Amino acid sequence: MHTLKLLSSFFKVNVQMSLAYRADTIVNILLNLMWLGWELLSLNIIFSNTSTLGGWGFGELIALLGVFRLVNTIMMAIIWPNTEKFNQSIRDGSMDYTILQPVNSMFLVTFSRITVWRIWDLILAITLMVVGINMSGDTTTALHILTFMLLATTGTIVIYSLWIVLIALTFWFTKFDNNVTILHALLDSGRYPATVYPVWLRIIVTFIVPIAVATTIPLQALRGELNSGQVLGFFLVGVVSFLLATRVWKAGLKRYSGASS
Amino acid sequence: MTPTIIVEKLSKTYQVPEREGGFGAAVRSFFKRKYKDVKAVQEVNFSIAQGEVVGFLGPNGAGKTTTLKMLSGLLHPTGGKASVLGFTPWELKPEYLRAMTLVMGQRNRLSWDIPAADSFLLNQAIYRIPDDQYKQTYKELDELLELEPLMKKPVRNLSLGERMKCEIAAGLLHRPRVLFLDEPTIGLDITGQVRIREFLREYNKRTGATILLTSHYMADVTALCERIIIIHQGQLKYDGGITDLSHKIAPFKLIGVMLTDADSHDLSKYGTQVRNEEDADKKYIQVKAGDVTRITSQLLADLPVHDITITDPPIEDVIEQAFNQ
Repeated sequence: MHTLKLLSSFFKVNVQMSLAYRADTIVNILLNLMWLGWELLSLNIIFSNTSTLGGWGFGELIALLGVFRLVNTIMMAIIWPNTEKFNQSIRDGSMDYTILQPVNSMFLVTFSRITVWRIWDLILAITLMVVGINMSGDTTTALHILTFMLLATTGTIVIYSLWIVLIALTFWFTKFDNNVTILHALLDSGRYPATVYPVWLRIIVTFIVPIAVATTIPLQALRGELNSGQVLGFFLVGVVSFLLATRVWKAGLKRYSGASS
Repeated sequence: MTPTIIVEKLSKTYQVPEREGGFGAAVRSFFKRKYKDVKAVQEVNFSIAQGEVVGFLGPNGAGKTTTLKMLSGLLHPTGGKASVLGFTPWELKPEYLRAMTLVMGQRNRLSWDIPAADSFLLNQAIYRIPDDQYKQTYKELDELLELEPLMKKPVRNLSLGERMKCEIAAGLLHRPRVLFLDEPTIGLDITGQVRIREFLREYNKRTGATILLTSHYMADVTALCERIIIIHQGQLKYDGGITDLSHKIAPFKLIGVMLTDADSHDLSKYGTQVRNEEDADKKYIQVKAGDVTRITSQLLADLPVHDITITDPPIEDVIEQAFNQ
């Protein structure tokens, strides 16, 4: 309950902050729309030559694009701005104030900045997903949609955990500004279904780098391609990665309080 | 009654990477790093009773900030114990964090782009301050610090002094019972400094809060603290009344004079010449407090004096001097 109240407070403050710079906000919205147009255009170019990609139809790819954009939105609206603030707070010492607030520091560090105008992006992502699912036919059931939602949440948690580990490394290295660039590079390849890649690359992509967990796997669940064992397996991956990330964060904090001056 | 703050043999040793100057050394140190132990705080003991206002002094690098950071919970000590309000600070229990505050004059906690009022409301949510209590506290802070005119401007448009007032207010919204203040008046104009002092005294009187503060301004310390603790090179050097200390180590005054032809006069016969980096136009001499009147009139009679000032030596210098003797 308090967490929700805090989130809404963060949201309010971020609305206030983004309204402080009008031109910046307008330019960002325009850029965002142009980027979406480019994405749709490039998919169209691919499909003017082939009707499927790795066994996936046009509607399914639109849905995948929706999931990808959802991940991308989280990236741009939450991960980027918070990491930027985090890196800066390590350098200028304002991390000290963050640690001394009576709120879980991991929560504070990861949610206090929200790029609020990305809300349009969120709407677009969801629209793409809904349209894509409709276009791909009438194969979906309520159970498939529920599984899809569960695994999409799991995928988000996996990415969140990966992010926590990457930024927590800053506690050891002091300067590690490339933390998000790495994460972004990993996630960017998730835009196309994992089956497009050769097997060896798919294995790396699925198991070493969990991008597919966030994009392709939820969609496979929607298509009813996963059995219950696989669903449970992916769910457990999410839980375990979150627990691990929390551990790493705590160790990082301890390191910070042992080494900083 | 148990003291609010108890510090027993508190120690902190840092490992600092160290290398020789030069290109080759830089490359070598990339592969094999050498560390040097720096003993920032060594077995410091003291205790502070509830409601006390204590000045924490020492030259730069003495270990003041390190000690404050350990007491607020930011740093794990390498040895010893500390207890504040019955809590071990570095366990960072939320109940502890809600009962104390750390205000650092050199750090910002307010968001740059929005008015302080918005950041205050965020703090209200973070510290779970009930609305009526928040309003009451805000009203009191406003009375003493005149916050209202500052509340509507984005923080980036405030002057340094105005921003400091807001920073201090932000740190006190949750009515902490223990205040750790690291240079709280730095950059404030005289009125601002006095107002902060009055505010802290009043806050201390009304709430019985315990205050431990460091400051470069002697006036802060003399106005607020009956007791001071001096730390030098990580070790406790003095713990006691401020009057005893000033008798012991600050019986000096600085006289600064601006002369028509500065270079042709020798001031050393009037007192020890000292340098003052902040005011290079004047020549400064240090004299015993009892001799100030005599030497001033002598200077005015003997030399072509344009301007003359009499000040207390900077507290850091006095302490440095006293313990280097």
